Amino acid sequence: MTYQIGGRDLKSRFFIGSGKLPSYAIIPEMVEKTGIEVITVAVRRINPETRHENIMDYIPGHCVIMVNTSGARNAGEAVRIARIGRELTGSDWIKIEVETDAKYLLPDNEETLKATEILVGEGFMVFPYISPDLVMAKKLAKAGAAAVMPLAAPIGTNKGITCAALLKPIINEIDIPVIIDAGIGRPSHAAEAMELGADAVLANTAIATAPNPVTMAIAMAKAVEAGRMAFEMGLLAEKEFADASSPLTGFLRRAE
Amino acid sequence: MIKLNGTEKPYCETIDKLLSENHYETKKIAVLVNGEIVKKEHWPVFALKPGDEVDAVTFVGGG
Repeated sequence: MTYQIGGRDLKSRFFIGSGKLPSYAIIPEMVEKTGIEVITVAVRRINPETRHENIMDYIPGHCVIMVNTSGARNAGEAVRIARIGRELTGSDWIKIEVETDAKYLLPDNEETLKATEILVGEGFMVFPYISPDLVMAKKLAKAGAAAVMPLAAPIGTNKGITCAALLKPIINEIDIPVIIDAGIGRPSHAAEAMELGADAVLANTAIATAPNPVTMAIAMAKAVEAGRMAFEMGLLAEKEFADASSPLTGFLRRAE
Repeated sequence: MIKLNGTEKPYCETIDKLLSENHYETKKIAVLVNGEIVKKEHWPVFALKPGDEVDAVTFVGGG
């Protein structure tokens, strides 16, 4: 079943970040085996001395390239990276990532909002990476963001859904898609994000640093699918006391 | 002198020339002069000035 995001019809609710991969050459196999349709990339200066393979040669043509603005320290720098990304790929999907805090890499929500306003005006599909703040998510939705990408935990920490109580209100209250990003270290984290009702999940570090990134990506993709299916069925509330799932064996003690 | 990706290089008149003199791959890259993108079709004719800051960028893996 397809769903709509950033003006496209997608099937997969799992997005992959391409940072730290041992080789770009595994990307085609990863895409094929997981069914992912969105992959993020970053923009960096070329170093002619260390000639690398170009990641663009390995991303299958049907994938949507989401350029991230990592390295930007303010809205102006994020806007410049977005324009470069569009120039290079023709893709208008941009993940706004503005970080000034080197230790926890937490996003600067205020600069992110500024960049979003400018880039929406230039016709971009803007995907802001934010700390899970409902008020900011509402402002971003109003500014025309294509989705919001609240973090589950700081980037690369593998801590999982540390703030469900802050993510759930965003999922419940805003009308644009919510993609849970960062901190997803295990398939169970990805499933939990989807059970909460997220529209999609993005993972990078846990996949890229696994001994076999393709296998880990498959595990994550399955978890995303499982979590989504469960969400669509409606999850049951917790109860204080047991509620027998087998019929009660009343016949055993009839004589008592 | 021209600053190419942060390093001082001998002056070249055009972007095309600057990139080839310094052995830069020109496929799938973007070029900025003083922070502004110069489209590829303008690289052979865009006149560089001494002191210009040129950045040549491309995509890498990133989350």
